[in-house]
Amino acid sequence: MSPDLHTVEGIARVVGVDGAVAWLEPEQTSSCGSCASAASCGAGDTNPAGGIGTVADRIAARRFALANANGLRVGERVVVGVAERALIRAALTAYGLPLATALTAGGLAESAWGSDLATLAAMAGGLLGGLLLARLVAHRLRARGELAPHFLRRARPGETCGGSAT
Amino acid sequence: MRDFILMMIGAALVNNVILARFLGLCSFMGVTTRIDTAAGMGLATTFVITVSSMADWAVQHWLLDAYGLGYLRTVTFILVIASAVQFTELTIKKVSPELFQMLGIYLPLITTNCAVLGVALLLVEGHMSFIAATLFAFASSVGYSLVMVIFAGLRERLALAQVPRLFAGPPLGFIVASLLAMAFMGFSGIATN
Repeated sequence: MSPDLHTVEGIARVVGVDGAVAWLEPEQTSSCGSCASAASCGAGDTNPAGGIGTVADRIAARRFALANANGLRVGERVVVGVAERALIRAALTAYGLPLATALTAGGLAESAWGSDLATLAAMAGGLLGGLLLARLVAHRLRARGELAPHFLRRARPGETCGGSAT
Repeated sequence: MRDFILMMIGAALVNNVILARFLGLCSFMGVTTRIDTAAGMGLATTFVITVSSMADWAVQHWLLDAYGLGYLRTVTFILVIASAVQFTELTIKKVSPELFQMLGIYLPLITTNCAVLGVALLLVEGHMSFIAATLFAFASSVGYSLVMVIFAGLRERLALAQVPRLFAGPPLGFIVASLLAMAFMGFSGIATN
């Protein structure tokens, strides 16, 4: 089956079931350990005990909840997905919005005062304002359910992010 | 204003960070298998490059230059970039845990992206004002994101094409990257920086 081009898929493992809610942790992809940046993202850290900055710590920080309508059990691997448009919208909200407000504030301050210090202060203020605005937009996106991954299917044995079962 | 626009066009298209300065090549080949992931990485990198360049400019002018510590520039910039990435990660996590879950994976990868340090060092060489330095950094990172998305689109199409096994995967990717670089050479002469 070819992957749906409009959905970003990933594999997650069920780490807990709490009534109608299942808690999942995203799986590290097979290519992570061989990436040149593995050391910086923690993928190169082989310490299974975890700790700040290790891959176990980062994966635990990305734990998420899913409505358990499919009878998921602890230890099961499932394929979850988010809409491609949602990913880009989230990136624009988190990064694009604060940048836009910072640059706008900086441009206005530069044209008003023409001082480096004033421009720097205005940009920092614009950045903070943009982050607050991003928080509001993120709340709206969350309320509409656009940021939550949804269950697609149970993963086949040996299936990786690439979609191939070996 | 005209000078700023020309400088930004020059930074984004003529002297593109990836295709002309050969910076950020690891993410260029590694995160461009899908358009959405390339766009996410591009936006995250744009944010980090712009914010860290603002901080680097301030450190360079009010600390390193003021106290004659120019020889500490590279190590200081690396520290500033790592701090900027951590700041971004913590802020996004605080602003919206959902956004962090969705996008947090990109941030640690940016710490080792040489384009971030490269742009900061270019700012120092350019002896720019704060606003010019920030716009230069922003335009450079927009150019980076543009090339990432274009290349991801090409690779998505290449994945569906039937090519000889010898060329499948990275070899064909490198050939396409070189053709893209030649295409971007067409922008030469529009603006210089």
